[in-house]
Amino acid sequence: MRNDNKKSVTVGIFVLIGIIILVTGILTLGAQQKAFVKSIRVFAVFDDVGGLQTGNNVWFSGVKIGTVKKINFYGDSQVEIEMNIEASAKDYIKKNSKATISSDGLIGNKIIVIYGGTGQGPSVEEGDRLTAVMPLDTDNMMETLQVNNKNLVSITEDLKVLTEKIANGEGIVGAVLTDSMLVKDFKLMMSNLQQTAVNSTRMTSELAAFSRGLNQKGGLIDDLVNDTIIFESLRTTIQGLEATGEEVNSAAESFKEVSENLNQTDNAVGMLLNDEEFATYLKSTMVNLDTGTVRLNETLEAMRYHWLFRGAFRKRDKAQDKTE
Amino acid sequence: MSGESTNKDKVISKRIDRFFTGLESAYLFVKRFFKEVWFPPYEFKEVIRQCYQIGYNSLPLISLTGFIVGVVFTNQSRPSLAEFGATSWLPALISIAVIRAMGPLVTALIAAGKVGSSIGAEIGSMKVTEQIDAMEVSATNPFKFLVVSRVLASTFMIPILVLYTDFVALLGAFVNVHANEMTSLSTFFVQVFDALSFLDITSSLVKSVVFGFTIGIVGCYKGYNSTKGTEGVGKAANSAVVMAMFLIFIEELLSLQVTNFFRQQ
Repeated sequence: MRNDNKKSVTVGIFVLIGIIILVTGILTLGAQQKAFVKSIRVFAVFDDVGGLQTGNNVWFSGVKIGTVKKINFYGDSQVEIEMNIEASAKDYIKKNSKATISSDGLIGNKIIVIYGGTGQGPSVEEGDRLTAVMPLDTDNMMETLQVNNKNLVSITEDLKVLTEKIANGEGIVGAVLTDSMLVKDFKLMMSNLQQTAVNSTRMTSELAAFSRGLNQKGGLIDDLVNDTIIFESLRTTIQGLEATGEEVNSAAESFKEVSENLNQTDNAVGMLLNDEEFATYLKSTMVNLDTGTVRLNETLEAMRYHWLFRGAFRKRDKAQDKTE
Repeated sequence: MSGESTNKDKVISKRIDRFFTGLESAYLFVKRFFKEVWFPPYEFKEVIRQCYQIGYNSLPLISLTGFIVGVVFTNQSRPSLAEFGATSWLPALISIAVIRAMGPLVTALIAAGKVGSSIGAEIGSMKVTEQIDAMEVSATNPFKFLVVSRVLASTFMIPILVLYTDFVALLGAFVNVHANEMTSLSTFFVQVFDALSFLDITSSLVKSVVFGFTIGIVGCYKGYNSTKGTEGVGKAANSAVVMAMFLIFIEELLSLQVTNFFRQQ
């Protein structure tokens, strides 16, 4: 009898623990599914739900706030989604919020994502219909991808032609890659360029040194640029030069006038320079003068030994000897 | 002479006739169970005793099996998910596998081996030793005492055992997942229940009830109809296990179709 009681108690405990496991599971599941939470119904109409199923989650700002309750056809070919959303979350979802279909991972379950809505707008209420935004269509993406693929094929074909030409040594790039002479020339050119660069560097440094010298205090350029006294002196000099220039100009004018007069035969010098007859006459006069001079010298030499003038010449010679 | 009469009684063939005869016999047996179960006298003590035998005594074996199933299934599933970098989905995968299919199935198969054979052998030995006849003579309804009590106990206890198996299998899975992915207990169970729906738990429990009833009724039927002495007892125990397991798989297939029907609604 006691043994029977013991078995009864054991079975009771065994069953009780089993029921506790069941109830705990149901309650946990209910909490997860928001089954025992007060909720409101919200709707959204999509053109294509992409495999969304009843029971899928509804997210707002990355937080699960409900589940998809029903999926019904609507209108011609649209689909109306009925969502159960926690009443506690409704204050944060505005009437102008949008609903779209997404997935909870790369290959995860489909979910409804509610987003947007202005902060000051009224909150969503029982039976409200949210604006549905169609998600990115995989088919459209694939079509775009296909266009990209075609472009890629075209690009690779062009690239193939280019590389073939390069490999055959055609064009500048091909020649550079295949012509050994060109390579040598190129190397030489590079060497020259390098040398030029070295020279350029040196020149630059010299220029820098030169400009430093120019800027040095007390230098000519520095004085010219910075010393006001020298500048004033220069200005005065230049003004003097200008005056001199004007005078030279005036003199040149006079000289020009004189030279013009010299070319004329109506004046003495012009006649002397330009009149051939006068020149011949002058020449013969000069010849006569020369002859006359010689004869005069001879006469004077003769007078030296004339008794009348001989004493005077002797006095002069003696006075000259004394002074030496 | 008797061979002539046998040949005259033959409708299609001897084997096919035997199959249909067995089917009719099984139908009548189940019908009798449903007829007897509602009316007194109720054998509560015997039901409790059978619950103890079937449920409590099977718990260590079921728990160990469930734990091993959880660990092994998690370990075997990891490489496939790791290829996608989706090992974080292990709790969800295991919960679906264990709650929807493996928990009830493993429990039912273990119970069919342990309980079904035990019932078949026990009732079979009582049959061949004419204890059942003796009970009838002593004004005790042997069907109610032996069959109804065992079938009821089996029908009640298998779902409870399934709950234990589910729990222990998930614990085993958690031990493995925690050791490899460092997933916390709370995260693990959040993911487990996130992947489940009420339909999963309901279908699992309904299926377990059907499995329990099948194990009990098949064991009792085979034992109750055992013949040919001690040899018949072994045969009854053996065929009880084989038939119960076969029917469990058939029921699993059918329950899957029914569950999917409700899932799509």
